[in-house]
Amino acid sequence: MYNKSLTQSVILFVPVILVGLGIMMIYSASSIAAAERFHDGMYFLKKQALFGLCGIGCMLVMMRIPYGFFKRCAYPLWGASIGLLVLVLIPGIGVKVGGAVRWLHLGPLSFQPAELAKLSVVILLAYCLAKKENERLKDFSIGVLPHLLLVMPMCLLIVIQPDFGTCMMIVVLLFVMLFAAGIKKRFVLGLGSIGLVAAALLIAAKSYRMERLMTFLDPWKDSTGAGFQIVQSFLAFGSGGFFGAGIGRGTQKLLYLPEPHTDFILAVIGEEMGFIGVVFVIGLFVTIVACGIKIAMNSYDLFGTYLALGIIVLIGLQTVINMGVVMGLLPTKGIPLPFLSYGGTALLVDMSCMGILLSISEQCHFMGKA
Amino acid sequence: MVKMKSRNELSRNISFIAMGFMVLFSIATLRAYFLQVLKSGELTELIQSQYRTSVELMPHRGTVYDRNGAELAASIEVESLYAHPGLIRDTRAAAKLLAPILDLPLHAVYRDLTSSKPFVWVQRKVTPTQAEQIRALKIEGLGFLKESQRFYPQKEIAAQVLGFVGVDSQGLEGIERQYDSIIKGKSRKLFADRDAKGRHVFVEGLQPSDQSRQGNDLLLSLDKNIQYIAEKELQAAVTLSQAKSGTAIVMDPWTGEVLASAVCPLFNPNQRSETDPDAWRNRAITDIYEPGSTFKTFSIASAIEEGTVKPTDMFFCENGAYHIASHVIHDHGSYGWLDVANIIKHSSNIGASKISRQLGKEQLYQYIRRFGFTAETGISLPAEQSGFMPSLKNCSEHTQGAISFGQSITVTPLQMVTAYSSIANGGMLMQPQIVKRIVDSTGAVVKQNTPVMKRRVISEKTAGIMRDMLKQVVAPGGTGTKAAVEGYVVAGKTGTSQKIDQGGYSHSKVMASFAGFVPADAPRLAIIVLVDEPQRMKFGGEIAAPAFSRMANAILNYLHVPPDAAPAQDPGLLKEIRTEPVKLAKLDEA
Repeated sequence: MYNKSLTQSVILFVPVILVGLGIMMIYSASSIAAAERFHDGMYFLKKQALFGLCGIGCMLVMMRIPYGFFKRCAYPLWGASIGLLVLVLIPGIGVKVGGAVRWLHLGPLSFQPAELAKLSVVILLAYCLAKKENERLKDFSIGVLPHLLLVMPMCLLIVIQPDFGTCMMIVVLLFVMLFAAGIKKRFVLGLGSIGLVAAALLIAAKSYRMERLMTFLDPWKDSTGAGFQIVQSFLAFGSGGFFGAGIGRGTQKLLYLPEPHTDFILAVIGEEMGFIGVVFVIGLFVTIVACGIKIAMNSYDLFGTYLALGIIVLIGLQTVINMGVVMGLLPTKGIPLPFLSYGGTALLVDMSCMGILLSISEQCHFMGKA
Repeated sequence: MVKMKSRNELSRNISFIAMGFMVLFSIATLRAYFLQVLKSGELTELIQSQYRTSVELMPHRGTVYDRNGAELAASIEVESLYAHPGLIRDTRAAAKLLAPILDLPLHAVYRDLTSSKPFVWVQRKVTPTQAEQIRALKIEGLGFLKESQRFYPQKEIAAQVLGFVGVDSQGLEGIERQYDSIIKGKSRKLFADRDAKGRHVFVEGLQPSDQSRQGNDLLLSLDKNIQYIAEKELQAAVTLSQAKSGTAIVMDPWTGEVLASAVCPLFNPNQRSETDPDAWRNRAITDIYEPGSTFKTFSIASAIEEGTVKPTDMFFCENGAYHIASHVIHDHGSYGWLDVANIIKHSSNIGASKISRQLGKEQLYQYIRRFGFTAETGISLPAEQSGFMPSLKNCSEHTQGAISFGQSITVTPLQMVTAYSSIANGGMLMQPQIVKRIVDSTGAVVKQNTPVMKRRVISEKTAGIMRDMLKQVVAPGGTGTKAAVEGYVVAGKTGTSQKIDQGGYSHSKVMASFAGFVPADAPRLAIIVLVDEPQRMKFGGEIAAPAFSRMANAILNYLHVPPDAAPAQDPGLLKEIRTEPVKLAKLDEA
């Protein structure tokens, strides 16, 4: 059953709830550090609140743009993303933080091209896949190769930053989209194995990636060294228990949990709001994914289907990967938790995605209701 | 239709992806359940251990008193400066202010203040002036904790017996070491947790340590004044004779209690770092020496006790040179026939060895052991030596002769004074004791040491015979006339033993000693005085005997011991012996 107004309400309000929760937890997690670093405990709160408002603005704008418009944007956006990714690599333009160049500074604002790249990949794939008849997609040179050629340069530029996590996520996104489009099973398997081999090579190429992998396998072995971060995250979750320590009462965020307001925001939620809080957050993401899937399956045309699917896979994957990382199910990667983690570019892109979803849902046909 | 078909396939695939997501979200939920519900307790424990840091604070260390309650070792409260480095705003400025006050190098202070630890000691045990100056700076993140500092109010007095403690108040030498576990008390761990701002705060505050954790106090058998007299007279003898060192022990012969145990050179434990570690040793128990003629008392007492020799027996003293196998034993003078009393009085080596030959070496060895030689006395002080003599089967006739006049055997001064006490008290070997009582911080007695008789060594009759003979030593014409004390009869024996130097007996290095007791017929004090390597006045009768005399005189005066005319045995002391339980378990010990 598809209930348009309910679905739209979910896509409209749930992200806003998440952003609100995020702002609260970011404040809780960062106020001490912010007071020390910027002499303003509200520093991150203010910035994220501003981004949140801008994000809501983006969403409202996007939902009013008929999504067909993005067909025309597909290639320009792809080009722009490639351009920005190249730009970020040029010394003196890209900003290096923690050993990786991921940011471009635009006056007082900083911008992460990889975030935009993710969205541009989604739009491009939706456009390309929707253009082609299903039968033609079965052909490798039509269904697989062009997409690979379009996406791979982007992956390459991102992995050079280096941002292995985002790169892998885009590869998985591509893989899922091609699977949905119905390419032959053997291509799926073949692509899968090639991806795995490539990932293995990339891991082996950098000693720190190998270390991360080993740490992931047994974080307790070196709980004060390489395993420190993840062990501290475990401790945050564990000490939260079922009901949590209470908002603002967590202690792990103070000194032990690194970057608690960005990637590890869920650990802070886990400590302060307990298992109940974590289940609540997971539940919100499940409703977003479920509604996104509904929109994809009921969209007016194929482009809408692919676009909605791409968006939901993008958001869903980031969520699942982030949760897996903070709870020690996946090796540590710099993937933020959509809507909740501190970070302007990601928030604007995620909210824009929600806007596009709403735009698609606007033109859904009313199956079941009719 | 093609489009419919593809649409269906697409829908199927999307459903598949949706299911995939649901599975992944379920896994995330299960994982959260595992961490937050199943493992919560375990992880919470771990987290507490990492939030907590602790600082160990030493409790108030027990006081050591002399027998009359004068403080010999006490603990005073001093302040130690600590820092919570994370709380100091301007570390550089703080270090610059602190370094000159503490008289520490700037970089050392800066390093402490920038430590990543939540708690660091900047300087332990600062002076009150320093503490005041630092308080006036009002630097956030600095604080003081009260610690106890050992202080020896009597300075040099009994320093070697008391020993001393290290920076963490751990006993390193002497009584402080031997009784460390009893007087140190329970240390206190202060736990520091993080407050809401991530700062460390002490959970229970920083009150001074409570009474239940304080260490026990010790009441020693030492008497501060007797100790002072012994040290003063010993020091005078050592200085006068330009000796290397000296040892003196004063014992109550009836109880085995050590009343004074003096070692020269003296040192002040309050300024230990400025003193020679060689002076820290309690030579009364750690240094062994060949006792020389003072030992004749025991070889002769053994022979009389066994009945192999009667006091009236005469021995030919070979006119000063006695050949045994290839060896020659010499006397200081040339003597002909002497009875046993005169052998002691004139300290004839030849006479003593002849007496011991009649006793037989097995018996001699047995008595030496029964007098407590070659075994630790068991006084509760660290690093006690036992001394030794050649094994029985390696003991030649000549060696036996040498042992009888105190060569080829080593003893400690404490063994010697204890053995002399047994002559003084009528034949009982007492357990030497230094601690009378252990008292807890509320004043309740934890342990009371009572006199313990180890065994009877000789009969009262033999002891009486020996006492009379030893009186002769101090009487006119004897070797120990300078040990005489006006108004009191002294019994004792001189000793001058050549020290072993480069493989043989040295002609220049001697140990001059006098051991005896006073008043001879109702002994109150057994005293030994040893002067090590005197450069002048090298005989026991010349340097140790006068020191004994002065010591005994002053102590008898101090104790108000009536001049001779007193009853044969002081009833007060006897009463003490008889009313207090005497352990008899060791009586039959060989």
